[in-house]
Amino acid sequence: MQNTNENFSFKKYAWAQFKKNKIALVCLYLLFALVILAFFAPYIANERPLYAEYEGNTLYPAFANETRTDSIYNTEGEFVQVLQYDIADWRQLDLESVVWAPIPYSPGGMDRYNRDYASPSGEQRFKNSEGEIVDIPSKFRHKLGTDGIGRDLASGLIHGTRISLMVGLVSMGIASLIGIILGAMAGFFGDTKLKMPRIKYWLTLFGAFMGLFYAFGQRKYVLAEAFGESISSGMLQMFISFVLIFVIIYFFRQISKLFQFRFLQKETNVPIDTFVSRGIELLNSIPRLLLIITITAVVDRSIWIIMIIIGVTGWTGIARFTRAEFLRIRSLEFVQAAESLGFSSVRTIFKHALPNALAPVFVSIAFGIASAILIESGLSFLGIGVPDDVVTWGSLLNLGRQNLEAWWLIIYPGMAIFLTITIYNMIAEASRDALDPRLKS
Amino acid sequence: MFKYALKRVLTFIPMLIAISLIAFIISINAPGDPVERLSKAAGNEGSAEQQSGASKKIKQELRKKLGLDLPIFYLSITDLASSDTLHRIQDKYHKANLEELTHKSGNWKGVSDYYSSLLKLQKSHLKINAKKIVSNDSTLDLNTVNEAANQFGFEIGSLLETSVEELVADKFKKMNNLVADNTYLSLLKAPLLDVQTKRSDLFANTKKWKTYIPAVNFYGAKNQYHLWLFGNGKERQGLIRGDFGISYIDSQPIQDKIWQKVGISFSLSLIAIFLSYLISIPIGIYSAYKKDSAADKGMSLILFILYSMPSFFVGTLLLLQFANPDNLSWFPVSGIQDPTLFDPDWSFWEKSKHRMPFLILPIITYTYGSFAFLSRIMRVGMIDVVSQDYIRTARAKGLGESKVILKHALRNSLLPVITVFAAIFPMAIGGSIIIEVIFSIPGMGVEVYNAILNYDYPMIITVFTLSGFLTMIGYLVADLLYAVVDPRISYK
Repeated sequence: MQNTNENFSFKKYAWAQFKKNKIALVCLYLLFALVILAFFAPYIANERPLYAEYEGNTLYPAFANETRTDSIYNTEGEFVQVLQYDIADWRQLDLESVVWAPIPYSPGGMDRYNRDYASPSGEQRFKNSEGEIVDIPSKFRHKLGTDGIGRDLASGLIHGTRISLMVGLVSMGIASLIGIILGAMAGFFGDTKLKMPRIKYWLTLFGAFMGLFYAFGQRKYVLAEAFGESISSGMLQMFISFVLIFVIIYFFRQISKLFQFRFLQKETNVPIDTFVSRGIELLNSIPRLLLIITITAVVDRSIWIIMIIIGVTGWTGIARFTRAEFLRIRSLEFVQAAESLGFSSVRTIFKHALPNALAPVFVSIAFGIASAILIESGLSFLGIGVPDDVVTWGSLLNLGRQNLEAWWLIIYPGMAIFLTITIYNMIAEASRDALDPRLKS
Repeated sequence: MFKYALKRVLTFIPMLIAISLIAFIISINAPGDPVERLSKAAGNEGSAEQQSGASKKIKQELRKKLGLDLPIFYLSITDLASSDTLHRIQDKYHKANLEELTHKSGNWKGVSDYYSSLLKLQKSHLKINAKKIVSNDSTLDLNTVNEAANQFGFEIGSLLETSVEELVADKFKKMNNLVADNTYLSLLKAPLLDVQTKRSDLFANTKKWKTYIPAVNFYGAKNQYHLWLFGNGKERQGLIRGDFGISYIDSQPIQDKIWQKVGISFSLSLIAIFLSYLISIPIGIYSAYKKDSAADKGMSLILFILYSMPSFFVGTLLLLQFANPDNLSWFPVSGIQDPTLFDPDWSFWEKSKHRMPFLILPIITYTYGSFAFLSRIMRVGMIDVVSQDYIRTARAKGLGESKVILKHALRNSLLPVITVFAAIFPMAIGGSIIIEVIFSIPGMGVEVYNAILNYDYPMIITVFTLSGFLTMIGYLVADLLYAVVDPRISYK
């Protein structure tokens, strides 16, 4: 410990270490660029103009709700037409002045004049406002080409950024929630440290059983109906079910205090570490891609369900790291101090121990995001689980595989996937080296 | 050692059971009715035939063979209102409907009365003979009579499957109208009335509280899970004896389909893994030996990039570059043999020679991913070993550098690599779906892919279960090998 500086902080040290790795730093900036691209995707690639003057009306079509419908009156107050934003052909309108998005195509929009794989460098056609078919003006060129039904590749790639970032975020969000909680409990309590009176243990298990019964058995039809309505109302009912489970378990734990027999109040160990470790081992022994494919075969096709499945099957690495960190931390002085001050286990775990255990977990999350994106693009490459109308990098690459002449459908989406995965892997590796020099290899 | 092995095997068994349970849970949640799928695959479909007694009988036998009339598991957790005989109802949709009705009303007796009255109605509906009616009353037209009767039959069918209150009321109204308008349907009046009273009785007498009390039912060994896993000693042999069921696609036994395909996938993955070991171990040793040199840094970066390349991208790129008339047409695009030239009587050597050009691109795709991964593991393991005391001792006593590295360090650094070997078994059965699909190799991967596209659930579940089992066995073998190679492990 040569560094006795008062201002020394681990975060600063780790950041300084991270910055030394120039490639990783570049990757971090690229990641920010990707996030910005994803965030502003509807304004970067959109077939509706950002700004348009039409018959004296100022419109901002790209920023409006796409189902919006306007009745347009000209400057004299005469009715011109009803403008439906999503089906209007903006390029055919007689606009007085217009600002197009940098890529004037939407990901799902089909350009019928450039069907059948229009090459980026080849001839492309365009219908101008007089209705004549002409050579395409450079503003409207499909700079990365189109697919078989005339969808613009550049637009698809930019909107695909959103999906790939969402996949990483949502699935690893779920995975880290499960992994951190289970790993922390397994590592902190081990097999012997979580003690509770026998009756409390039994009643907790009974409460969990009753909770599951009321929350999922009893509410089965409520849940099914809500999910049938929409994902969000289904999620709300799901949340209510989870709250119900916790309330019921709490109720039974409180009841256990009523039994004051010595036999029932005897302390027993809860082997929580064994449970978690076996669970990890089990999930690890199933080939993950096959598990995900098997589950997608029996559920509806939806990108959200894919994300949830990737998350639910991907927590084992995070749990293992969290557990290992907690095993180390739980014998350190500050945790023992927290315990001897009489803090509850929950407070000790989440407020004192967890912030000090997060560094290696962060690394495993970053690797996890890379593999989540890899799995999702692999699935959409195979056309499994992801609906056909959702444009993702993987599904674009699949179109290229089916028609090898359209090399742009292979190179560009493939590079997008490859770069994103490399960025995450690079950041993960650099931060592993920065956060824990012992692991450096 | 023996104690360790025993302990390891003992933890292995519950894991196998857990995998079979997960597979079973997924399989019973598969949408659709297996009997319909199977009879469709067998080819006895068609609306007229479907209604005929023969087809119904076949379906019933199929249902029995599949064990669909059995309870699902050894025990079930339901509520007090539910019946423990519900599983005997054959039709999947009827079952779901009755379950929901019971849940809504808590009155199982009322529900079963309602159901049997509906079935009675259906029976008396079947007695209606349009031709007879027309011959008795010449004013009637055969088509209109048929239409009315069919309409009525349709309403009964949908009543059996829906429990939504508004829909049911609507159906009742339609049926009453039909009976009122057409005198020849008067035969159905009494049973229809009976159905309606049974339904109102059912909801007049709800016992909702019963649905709030859990109940556990035990069924013993006669259940679907047991049948699936162990068979019944007669027509079903059970999973553990190699009976995996019947494919929905072509009604072939799944074990036969798997045996036909597994060889290709297995040999491919074996070659690929062998090659990747062959390349990665020297690379790993070299970069560890020259740690932090320019060569090591360059190699690490290349390996890192290879590691981040998705295999489906690499495969498609290779096709684009080397199997494409526009670029270089060095290799065939797909398959593993040329059907016009291939002769099954060829010797093994000739077959291999013929297949070689087909297999080069897939093997490259197969190999590069695991080779990048393995080299990285190898390098870390080697670095770890080289800094140990006994290596210093070996050097200190004057051994040559090559002897130190290849004889003392290598053996110990190979340990982590054993684990990876466990992955071969599941690769063979699951195949590498992506690679086989890209190169159209007729192995297990394509088989699984087709099964998914065609919703062939028995196949999917079988592959899932088998690869789970094989991975577990692979881990077990790897762990035992570990313990043999490194005795310290069994003393932990």
